[in-house]
Amino acid sequence: MINAIGISILLVYMIILIAIGVYGAKVSLKTSEDYFLASRNLGSIAVFMALFASNITAFTIIGHAGFSYEIGYGAYGYVIGWSIFITPFTYYLVGYRSWLLGKRYGYATQPQVFGGIFNSKLISLLFLILLLYYTLPYLVVSIIGGSLALSTVTEGLVPYWLSALIIIGVSLIYTLPAGMRGTVWTDIFQGTLFLVVAIFLLSAVARALGGFSEITHQIVLDNPAMLERGVSPELAPINWFSYAFINSIAVIVFPQIYTRILAARSSINLKRVSLYYPLALAVIFGVSTLMGVWGSVAIPGLAGKEADNIVPLLIHQFLSPFWMVVGLVIVLAIVKSSIDSQLLAVAHLLTDDLFPRLKKITSQQAVFWGRIMLLVFAAIAYYVALIQPAAILSIAGFAFSGFSVMLPVMIGSLYWSRANKYGATAALVFPAIMLHLWYLRILPQWTTFGFMPVFPSFVLAIITFVVVSFLTPAPPPDQSKKTFGLFDRVFK
Amino acid sequence: MTFKTRFIVVILIVAVMFILHNSFWLWDLDSQVPLLFGFMPFAYSYYVGYALLSLLAMKVIIDLAWPDPPEDVTEQFTDKEHSKQ
Repeated sequence: MINAIGISILLVYMIILIAIGVYGAKVSLKTSEDYFLASRNLGSIAVFMALFASNITAFTIIGHAGFSYEIGYGAYGYVIGWSIFITPFTYYLVGYRSWLLGKRYGYATQPQVFGGIFNSKLISLLFLILLLYYTLPYLVVSIIGGSLALSTVTEGLVPYWLSALIIIGVSLIYTLPAGMRGTVWTDIFQGTLFLVVAIFLLSAVARALGGFSEITHQIVLDNPAMLERGVSPELAPINWFSYAFINSIAVIVFPQIYTRILAARSSINLKRVSLYYPLALAVIFGVSTLMGVWGSVAIPGLAGKEADNIVPLLIHQFLSPFWMVVGLVIVLAIVKSSIDSQLLAVAHLLTDDLFPRLKKITSQQAVFWGRIMLLVFAAIAYYVALIQPAAILSIAGFAFSGFSVMLPVMIGSLYWSRANKYGATAALVFPAIMLHLWYLRILPQWTTFGFMPVFPSFVLAIITFVVVSFLTPAPPPDQSKKTFGLFDRVFK
Repeated sequence: MTFKTRFIVVILIVAVMFILHNSFWLWDLDSQVPLLFGFMPFAYSYYVGYALLSLLAMKVIIDLAWPDPPEDVTEQFTDKEHSKQ
C-alpha cells in the first residue's frame, strides 16, 4: 500500500520534526520560563498555530466526520457552531486579562494566576488538582483516538500498540529538548500542513465522487434527511443548547491552551489570533463535515464506530495510494500537535506548581525536572492507553464538561473585585461533585431537567460563586488592588 | 463612552451571537432553501455565514473594548523588553 514515494514523504516529515527539535534545543535558554513559555515571546503566527493545532485533535478528522456521516450537515453547527465565535471570544474575555497578570507578576499557569488573585494556596492547589484530573484522561483518550486512527489509516499495517508508541515517541523527540518552543514550531509546520492538505484532500474526494454539486444532489435524492437538523433526535434543541456549554467554552480552560496565551509577546498578537480564529475553525470542521456527509452516500451502511472510519475509507476506495500517505501524515500531524502540548502542560503544572510546594528548586533544575516529568507522564500515558481502564475512560467522557464548569470561577475572578477565595473554593468543588453525581448516574437524570449535566453544573458554579462570596468577608483591599488596580489602568 | 458602557455592548454582541447559534425557528429552512453554490445546504451555509459574522463581531469587540496596555503598565512587565508593541 505504501510505496517508496510514500515512505519518502513520511521520512521527510519526520526529519523536519526532528530538525525542529534539535534547532529548538540549540536556541533555547536554560530557564524554566524559556522551556515552558518560550520566554513569553511568541508572535502572532506562532500563537495562532500553537492554539489552533493544540485545539484540533483526532476527533476533528475522525470522530466528527463519523458523526456527520450519521447526523448530516447539522453536525457542523452542533459541534463547532458556537465554538467558532465563543472560543476566540474567551481568548479576549479570560485570555487577555490573564496575559496582563502573567506579564506583570510573572504567573505562568492557572494555579499561579488564580491562586495569585486570591492570595490563596488552596485555590492554587484546587486548580492544579482539577486540571490534572481532567487533563490526564483527556490526554490518554487523545492518544487512544490518534493511535486507532493511525492504525486504521495504515489498514492495520501499523498495529495499535506501535501507533501509540510512534505518536508519543515522535512527540517527545522535539518536545523533550526544546519544550514549548519545540511544540510551537512544529505546530506552525503541522498546523499549516493539515489545514492546507485537508482542503486539497476534500477537492480530490469531491472530484472522485463527480464534483461538489453532483455529490450533493445525490444526497438530496438518496438521503434528504441529511439536510435537515429537525429530524435528528440527537440534535434536539435542548441538546443543541446544552452542547454549547461543553467543547466551546472548555477550550480556554485547557492548560495547554491557557499557557500558550500567556506566552504571547504582545496584546496585538492575541488580537490577531482572536480575529482570524473563527475562519480556521470553520474551515477544518467544514472539510470534516463534508467528508462525513458525502461518505454517507458514497459508502452507505456503516454503523456505530464503523462510521468513524469514513475518511480513511473514502481515501482508500476513491483515491490513489499517494493520498493514503497524505491522509496518514495529516492524522499524525493533528494527533501529535495536540498530544505534545498536553504532555508539556502536565509536566509544566507539576514542575511549576507542585514541586515548589515540596522543595525549593532553581529555574535550571525546573527544566531538568520538567523533562523528567515529560518522560514519566509519556510512559504512564502510553501504558494507560494500552490497558484502557474503564475508570479513566469514564472520567474522559466528561472531562470537557469538567473544564467548562471551572470557567465561571476564572471569569468571576478576573472581573468581580468582590469575589473572594471562599466563593471560588466552593464554586470549584461543589459543581465538580454535582457533575460527577450526574455523569456517574448517582443522581436521577430528571434532576437536570432534560439538559446535559454540564449546563446545571455551570449555573450552579455561578450561583455558588456569587452567593458564597457575598456571605463571606470581602477580600482585603490590597489584594484586590493588585489585580484590579492593574486592570483599571488598562481598561479605561 | 466609558469602558463599562463599551463592555455592555460587547455582552450584547455575545448575546446576539448566542441567539443566532440557537436559531431553532430557522431550522424549517433546511429543507426549503436551495443549495448555495450548488453544494452547500442551508444547515451548512448558515455556519459559513456565521463564521464570517464571528470575524466581524470579533473585529468590533477588539476595536471597542480591547485596549493595549499603556506604556506605564508595560514598563512594569517582568519581561518588558519583549512586551513593547
